[in-house]
Amino acid sequence: MESEFFLNAGMNPVPPLPLHFNPTSSNSPPMPAWRSLPHSSSAMDMSNANYEQPPPDCFFGNPNWDRSTDHHTGGLQYESALSSMVSSPTASNSNIPTESFMIRELIGKLGNIGGHGSNNPGEISPHLAAASSYGGSASNSCYSTPLSSPPKLSLPRMDQFVKTMGLNSSVAEFSADPGFAERAARFSCFGSRSFNGRTVQMSGGGGGGGGLNAPPAMNGSLGGGKLPRVSSSPSLKALGSQKGNKGSPPPRQDGGELGNSSASPEESSLSEQRIPNAAGDGSAKAAAAAANEPNPRKRKAAPKGKAKESAAARPNASTAKEVETNENPTAKRSKGNGNNESKSPAKAVEEDAEAAGNSCGGEEKHSNESKPPEPMKDYIHVRARRGQATDSHSLAERVRREKISERMKLLQDLVPGCNKVTGKALMLDEIINYVQSLQRQVEFLSMKLSSVNTTRLDFSIDPLSSKDMYQRNNSGMAHPMFPVDSSASAILGHHHQHQNHHGNGSNSSSSSISAAAQNLTLHCPLDPFALPHDQFQSFCDDDLQSIVQMGFSGNGPDTDYNSGSSPNHQPSSSHMKVEI
Amino acid sequence: MASTIISSSPVTNSDRSKRRKKKKAAAAQQSKRAEGSSSHARWRTESQQQIYSSKLIQALSQVQLNPSSPSAPRRGRAVREAADRALAVSARGRSRWSRAILTSRIKLKFRKQQRRHQIKQQQRIVSADGGISRARKPRVSVLRLRGKSLPAVQRKVRLLGRLIPGCQKEPLPVILEEATDYIAALEMQVRAMTALAELLSGSNQAAGSSS
Repeated sequence: MESEFFLNAGMNPVPPLPLHFNPTSSNSPPMPAWRSLPHSSSAMDMSNANYEQPPPDCFFGNPNWDRSTDHHTGGLQYESALSSMVSSPTASNSNIPTESFMIRELIGKLGNIGGHGSNNPGEISPHLAAASSYGGSASNSCYSTPLSSPPKLSLPRMDQFVKTMGLNSSVAEFSADPGFAERAARFSCFGSRSFNGRTVQMSGGGGGGGGLNAPPAMNGSLGGGKLPRVSSSPSLKALGSQKGNKGSPPPRQDGGELGNSSASPEESSLSEQRIPNAAGDGSAKAAAAAANEPNPRKRKAAPKGKAKESAAARPNASTAKEVETNENPTAKRSKGNGNNESKSPAKAVEEDAEAAGNSCGGEEKHSNESKPPEPMKDYIHVRARRGQATDSHSLAERVRREKISERMKLLQDLVPGCNKVTGKALMLDEIINYVQSLQRQVEFLSMKLSSVNTTRLDFSIDPLSSKDMYQRNNSGMAHPMFPVDSSASAILGHHHQHQNHHGNGSNSSSSSISAAAQNLTLHCPLDPFALPHDQFQSFCDDDLQSIVQMGFSGNGPDTDYNSGSSPNHQPSSSHMKVEI
Repeated sequence: MASTIISSSPVTNSDRSKRRKKKKAAAAQQSKRAEGSSSHARWRTESQQQIYSSKLIQALSQVQLNPSSPSAPRRGRAVREAADRALAVSARGRSRWSRAILTSRIKLKFRKQQRRHQIKQQQRIVSADGGISRARKPRVSVLRLRGKSLPAVQRKVRLLGRLIPGCQKEPLPVILEEATDYIAALEMQVRAMTALAELLSGSNQAAGSSS
């Protein structure tokens, strides 16, 4: 019946949609006489073809209709446009580009008309009427309406409209139809150019206003001049922007984004998967996942398993493994002709998330290898270099290889003689040899020390162990010796002399050794006590004396202790003073 | 003062001597200054060497040379283990090998206990002395790896992993990282021990000549 109406009313392409949209008839504002049209199905009798008399349902509560004259003119224009649009394309269902083109035009016009709500509340077409009626008021109707309602309305309107036009699927279905994505992809090249301008305009507005749910990155990308794949998406966005940017509803955007997704059914289904993710997470990651932006010019064959990989990887908890798998999808897929030079870290994030499915071998890549710091992400983003494969596996491999080569370089500096050697195997050989040689050296030295110890250090042990309390003092004193400068002279002066002697004595052994050890590096003279040599000797026990003398004599070449403390050693010795 | 320092010591080493050594607190202050530099460059700083030397000396003085092991190799091994432990302590547990060194002693003690139990059990069952060899975990020598895997790089990676304590089954990047740190630490250890040996032997000579 509707089609009949349509055919009959050649000039009246207004579909009998008001049937679905049926506001309360009780709402009866002062309407013009035409309102008396019975709104039964027969009211759809468009044979009257009076566009002045649109289905009354639509105009309930719409004071705008008082200005019927204006409506007429506007409506005329609109009608003519619509009719031309309708009549021009062939009614073939299979002619997908044209039908989508029609839709595009219609939506565009709807958007335009909706934008000029004050002038043309779109009463002519039920779509616009419905849209405007929601608003209620004259001028701000379109803008005051919540964003969701007009598009929702318009979509079913368009759905019917499209159906009457003989199209296959509805616009509402378009967004969810994987086949549509395919068709749209095919079509995208057809109309992408014409859309570019519009996209930039509208999506800028849409992106700016509708960024409530989506992260700014997505909006930026939306408005960043990215070429959307699907024709309907910019128009949808336009609708959204025109109808008042209350914050594009996620489903709307997702619908658009779905349309934006690549041609492959897998990816569209994948992006559908992502939408629940987006709804659930609300994170930039998920939203970025939904915001797939393949390059229409570079559009390509279905990404196959990568999309699935990324989908599989994404829901994973942030683990180290995920780092690896997520590194793959984070390969940057450069948008062909350099129209994506506007990179921001956030954008890189989203692109990285989405890039999994978009990788195509042989596509141009950005030459910058930078890894943008992503505080909110937990995985490393890698950009694929120009001319390199963007396979997820190869990306992970590349990251791993780079890590390894980085560390090999460090090792090269450490291990002597590695400069000439190239290649992992030879380098590893060198490293192994070096480590083995070092360990052997340590063993040899330990043997040597043990032999030396038997003769020397044993002496120090007995007096130390015998005087346990002094031993504690020893350790307390000896430990901070190096880092902390404790002046032995001060300590010596403060403590009781006898105790001092003992402390000194017991300290002297360890201190001498430790001081000697320090001597190894600092080459500081051993002048711990600032005591004249003969006095010191009187302090020491017999068994200690030898050690002390040993310590002193060991440092003989460095300083001359027999002459007592040399003034020039004082400042440096402060570090070595024993703490009692 | 000593007790407070003992309690504040974060060292988990089971060696009592290490706990008694309060140098940890003092060493902590100095090592913090060297903290900023990269891991393997840290081992080159003089402060680190000082810390290590002092620790080494304490450890060496604690080594029971006279009573326990008269044989030279065992003494040498004891010294070497003490030196390694001191090195691991200086690493402050930031690297795998250092942690492995410090925990190996506990494991060894534990294994000794296990071995004793097993020996007793096995002695009841089997009169032969095979219990000891059975109880001991067979240690695959490094050389045996050569016959195993074909890819040369893999083989060498495993080899290197066995050389570095505690990195036996780690993947290559981890092993490389550990190797960097370990090589730097070993170099420092060698430097310190040579100096110490030189000093002691020098003093030996002097004392020997004087007496």
